[in-house]
Amino acid sequence: MGSGTWSTDVYDAARSYRASTGASAFAYSDGGATTAHPDLDPHGVVLRESRDSDDHPESLAIAVLFDVTGSMRTVPRTLQAKLPDLLGLLLRKGYVEHPHIMFGAVGDATCDRAPLQVGQFEADNRMDDDLGKILLEGGGGGQMTESYELAMYFMARHTAIDCLEKRGRKGYLFMIGDELAYPAVKRREIAKVIGGEPRGDVPIEELVRELQRKYEVYFIIPEGAYHARSRKLADFWRGLLGQHVLFLDDLDAVCETIALTIGLSEEAIDLDEGLEHLDEFGSGAGPSVSRALAPLDASRSSLAVSAGPPDLGSGPSATTRL
Amino acid sequence: MNSAAPVVVVDLGFGDAGKGTVVDWLCARGPEPVHAVVRFNGGAQAAHNVVTPDGRHHTFAQFGSGTFTPGVRTHLSRFMLVDPLALAAEAGHLRALGVGDALDRLTADRDALLTTPYHRAANRARERARGADRHGSCGMGIGETAAYALAHDDAPRVGDCLSPARLRRRLTAVRDRYLEEFPAATAGEAVPPVEDCVAAFTAFAERVRVVPGDHLHRLLRTGRVVFEGAQGVLLDEWHGFHPYTTWSTTTFANAETLLREAGDAGGPAVRLGVLRAYATRHGPGPFVTEDPALTADLPDPHNGTGPWQGSFRVGHLDAVALRYALEVAGGADALAVTHLDVARARGDLKVCVAYDGMERLPVHEGGDLEGRAALARRLLTARPVYAPLGADPVPVIEDMLGVPVALRSYGPTAADKRAARAARCDRTRPSPARCANGD
Repeated sequence: MGSGTWSTDVYDAARSYRASTGASAFAYSDGGATTAHPDLDPHGVVLRESRDSDDHPESLAIAVLFDVTGSMRTVPRTLQAKLPDLLGLLLRKGYVEHPHIMFGAVGDATCDRAPLQVGQFEADNRMDDDLGKILLEGGGGGQMTESYELAMYFMARHTAIDCLEKRGRKGYLFMIGDELAYPAVKRREIAKVIGGEPRGDVPIEELVRELQRKYEVYFIIPEGAYHARSRKLADFWRGLLGQHVLFLDDLDAVCETIALTIGLSEEAIDLDEGLEHLDEFGSGAGPSVSRALAPLDASRSSLAVSAGPPDLGSGPSATTRL
Repeated sequence: MNSAAPVVVVDLGFGDAGKGTVVDWLCARGPEPVHAVVRFNGGAQAAHNVVTPDGRHHTFAQFGSGTFTPGVRTHLSRFMLVDPLALAAEAGHLRALGVGDALDRLTADRDALLTTPYHRAANRARERARGADRHGSCGMGIGETAAYALAHDDAPRVGDCLSPARLRRRLTAVRDRYLEEFPAATAGEAVPPVEDCVAAFTAFAERVRVVPGDHLHRLLRTGRVVFEGAQGVLLDEWHGFHPYTTWSTTTFANAETLLREAGDAGGPAVRLGVLRAYATRHGPGPFVTEDPALTADLPDPHNGTGPWQGSFRVGHLDAVALRYALEVAGGADALAVTHLDVARARGDLKVCVAYDGMERLPVHEGGDLEGRAALARRLLTARPVYAPLGADPVPVIEDMLGVPVALRSYGPTAADKRAARAARCDRTRPSPARCANGD
């Protein structure tokens, strides 16, 4: 109720709308930015932390880093629009109770202005702000190689996550892209992009082993990207990550794919249940997700939990949980 | 409950119970992150006051009351009457409070009706003509907007702001209608030229995302959505005490329609009724438990006597009226009770258990306004039968209304609220932990 607190002056309103420029989901990038946003610049960052709090006592760190170079075509922009839905999907059916999500972007350290961009681990919609600050560079080196190894180095050595430190549970790292990584992360590039004084180059196999002690690492290859159908690409990532390479034929299903992957890995659901949930939400992503995750599901069917989550929504109950 | 189930928040009285502060709590400290707040009735006349723990105060009219929480979106559904002029001023105030992106987080359904300066002028002219018989209108043009749309298929809507020629045609028709009915000599309220309205309204549509009806479906699939009602059930256009009502459906009905259309994405909604530990009414009309002593003792910091609405009146909790509100709204799953600090501090609040010779108000179906008017006349002379309420009204309220209290509020900020029963986490499965309802 009330009595109309706000002025309804037609001239003030027109002026006000014109003066306040809109920030699109890609405000930073579209605003002509040419360098990483200071909030996402990894240089000098000692640690990105995912810490438990009163509100989120059992946090689970989830990082999503995507390739923003030219060969990805329109993929990054679609991801920037879609990824804000991820948090809701994870919480919706209790796959994860307290997700902390970090978004970031990967470029090419040999020629891009923003070879690595990393947000913060956030438990609420603030993660969307980080997403909006990602510079969609569209550069890259044109040689089918991007600096994923630099991103992996950062995740392995510059993040601290309570889920692992306090509970011995690994976090999740999803990389989305269509190229190979360089064979080693170079000392010079670490110093330039992240800072610090690494003792030497780190070969990629060694780095992946180190990273996998901290995170379940997945690589998603979207169909719409330039190199998506390359055999070499699939073989390269499978060599490093085994089953954890997913092919996604519909980018609109990226959040559903990530959410169900985590749900499967956390043994909260099996694939059929997850697909049922998607139907329940009215999501049309089921078929694509099903195709992307079929290999994963087959490999873990012996582990799959068949009992569905208890339905806490039916029938009257003595109390209502808000 | 499905942990991310949509929540529909309505006021079980005459408005002003604290919907805004409840929605703010859900968004700032609720058990689940809130993705979006959806408005589903009324328009810019809403005045939902929210105070942040750091002392900032904003009266939410069109933006959802969750806007102080970073990232929470507002969606104006097609049942909302959108006032682009008031919206600009409100966004300006939010900017001044450090919320710079409120307009970026806003979407408006293209089918929502527009409230224009011409509706507003007609509203005021009509209310002036009623003289002493005022209905307690807010003077914002809400009733005029709704009435005009019922009588004219070409009422201006949000989507028209994307088509200047059509917008111009439709605004001109509203203006001509107003000038016809209230010639300047008698009405005395000048209105801006159509061209200037067109300029402001098109600027609004360039700045705010105008979306089709299925946008809400996506919001519901993405995360928890809170539906924020305006006004109160006892002011409902069909169930309220005619003619002291609003041109709006103030029950859960519009929200339920929107949820049904979305295929109930997000699962069954939680219907949350909000009430104060005592009763209030802003403006004229029946108010059986009104108590001048309480009116004098409990002035409302955000509700004075408005030039259009009249005085702010205070009385005791009215179980008869609340039961009626629950009945016409189809029941509620849970209650939020605000101003419990007042009950605790005073200890002398009462609850009306019956009216002299009447324990239950008759419910009419099918828009029998004559019947509602007859009821209103009876209520103007009804006498309350009181019982003591005590310093903690919650058990009394639960007992009288048969609905559990899920949230207690002892002050204006989210920090002053307590979820009545903490959810107990059931750790029967190692991962992920699932929360069950408390006892």
